[in-house]
Amino acid sequence: MTPLSEAAALVVLLRSGRRPWPAYAELVEDAGSALAVLERQATDSGEQPSLFHEPHEPLVKAAEDEVATWEASGMRLLTVLDPDYPDNLRAVHDRPPLIFVAGRLEPSDARSIAVVGARRASPSGLRRARAIAEHLVEHGYTVVSGLAAGIDTAAHTAALARDGRTVAVIGTGLRRNYPPENGQLQQRIAARFAVVSQFWPDAPPSRRSFPMRNAVMSGLTLATVVVEASHTSGSRMQTRIALAHGRPVFLPRSLLGHAWARELSARPGTHVVDSPAEITATVQRLTSTSALVV
Amino acid sequence: MPTVAELTALYTNFMLGPRAGPSVCGECFNFTDGYQRCYACAHGEAWLDTVAPISYSVAREQLHHALARYKRLSGETARRLQVELAAVLWRHLDAHEPCVAAAAGTDAFELVTTVPSSDGQRDGRHPLRWIVGALTGPTRQRHERLLLRSGQPVEGREFSPQKYEAVRSLAGAPVLLIDDTWTTGANAQSAAAALKLAGAGPVAAVVIGRHLNREWHENDRRLRGITRPFDWAHCALCAEDVHLSPGLSVG
Repeated sequence: MTPLSEAAALVVLLRSGRRPWPAYAELVEDAGSALAVLERQATDSGEQPSLFHEPHEPLVKAAEDEVATWEASGMRLLTVLDPDYPDNLRAVHDRPPLIFVAGRLEPSDARSIAVVGARRASPSGLRRARAIAEHLVEHGYTVVSGLAAGIDTAAHTAALARDGRTVAVIGTGLRRNYPPENGQLQQRIAARFAVVSQFWPDAPPSRRSFPMRNAVMSGLTLATVVVEASHTSGSRMQTRIALAHGRPVFLPRSLLGHAWARELSARPGTHVVDSPAEITATVQRLTSTSALVV
Repeated sequence: MPTVAELTALYTNFMLGPRAGPSVCGECFNFTDGYQRCYACAHGEAWLDTVAPISYSVAREQLHHALARYKRLSGETARRLQVELAAVLWRHLDAHEPCVAAAAGTDAFELVTTVPSSDGQRDGRHPLRWIVGALTGPTRQRHERLLLRSGQPVEGREFSPQKYEAVRSLAGAPVLLIDDTWTTGANAQSAAAALKLAGAGPVAAVVIGRHLNREWHENDRRLRGITRPFDWAHCALCAEDVHLSPGLSVG
């Protein structure tokens, strides 16, 4: 676990800094210490006038108390300095410098696939989401989704029903429930597995938070499956992000009736599949690291 | 086992192919403000006969991140990045090693080696040697660890012919030098100097990423001008003709 003062220093950095969050992930990883980055900024005149004028020690002390309060209420803070910060996520360029986890991520969650799709899903879409989640669970994959209504809920609940692992990555802080009707599902997943958020615990949902959440969902997983999506959906956003991460995207052939799906299927890294078994076979092959063939 | 084609497809969306042209450094394909050579190439030593970057690697973007993390992470995630980067190298050399050889003035490269790491601890078991010496089909049979860090105190990014030393005499052999990233070129040029002082024939460098900062001068605009997705059929060296004769169909 990250020493408390390091976690607290990162909290202070993120609250007072002006750079995008992933830039702090890089700075802190390179320095191997958030305190060191904070100290450098404080002595680096012009960079952070507010920090320059305010000594950071009291801020770090206050943040230590805050982190302790979060941890006491069951929210574990994982920073990029923490060996338990997920490696899959570490390997994407826009990883967040910290995540909050309710419950517990296991090393086996590295073997995970994101199942995403529309909130207003069709009955056949929901059936397909369940079938995919069940298949993934049977093959030892953790089902990662976004706890939204529709496809996400179907994927999480099907995995739970089969006693498989499922992880929710949410677009709000961990103290919030969005949508409210999934509050119970959120608690069930946190109690048995993990709910992950890159936002401050009280952060409300916002237009920007959902695409950011999609980047974390893609980063945590080996691949993304889009079960069903409308032409404006966040699921399509996630496919763009996954491809930009160099992670494969899977699309059921039945979606090719939609223009957006045909367009997506033409992009390198996208696989059109006829069955859930094709997804696991392809992921298994793509992530095997023993050798490479032409 | 993954195939080269399906793994490289994953990088095709974000790789950015360098192309010769006005305000592009004639040595390393860096963007310049109207000069034929970038500052580092104009002011540095030029021991390499050819520099062939596969892609631009833009700071804090995915290829740059992969090129830094394949050697800093450990376990399965690092292995996955290593296999992916090997696929990139494989596909590129399969299609374009002849372009590199021609530009360096040789028919073929007898030997393939890597630039030693500037991090002494890492150099002991550098994953780049696993990529070039074991994973990558076109290089593994010709790979030999020809260079060692000399132990001479040389600043990180300074050129010095004493930075590395060759393990044996090279008797005129053409050598293909592989590195993950080209920033100023000081390390690759130092490696080329050590190889040539040991008697190597033509020495060319293939690097996966030519490092760039998007914020520098016109870089952002110029990077946006690069055709996407990445075109594996043309490389920085062979695309030039296409560039200069837009009226000609190339299939």
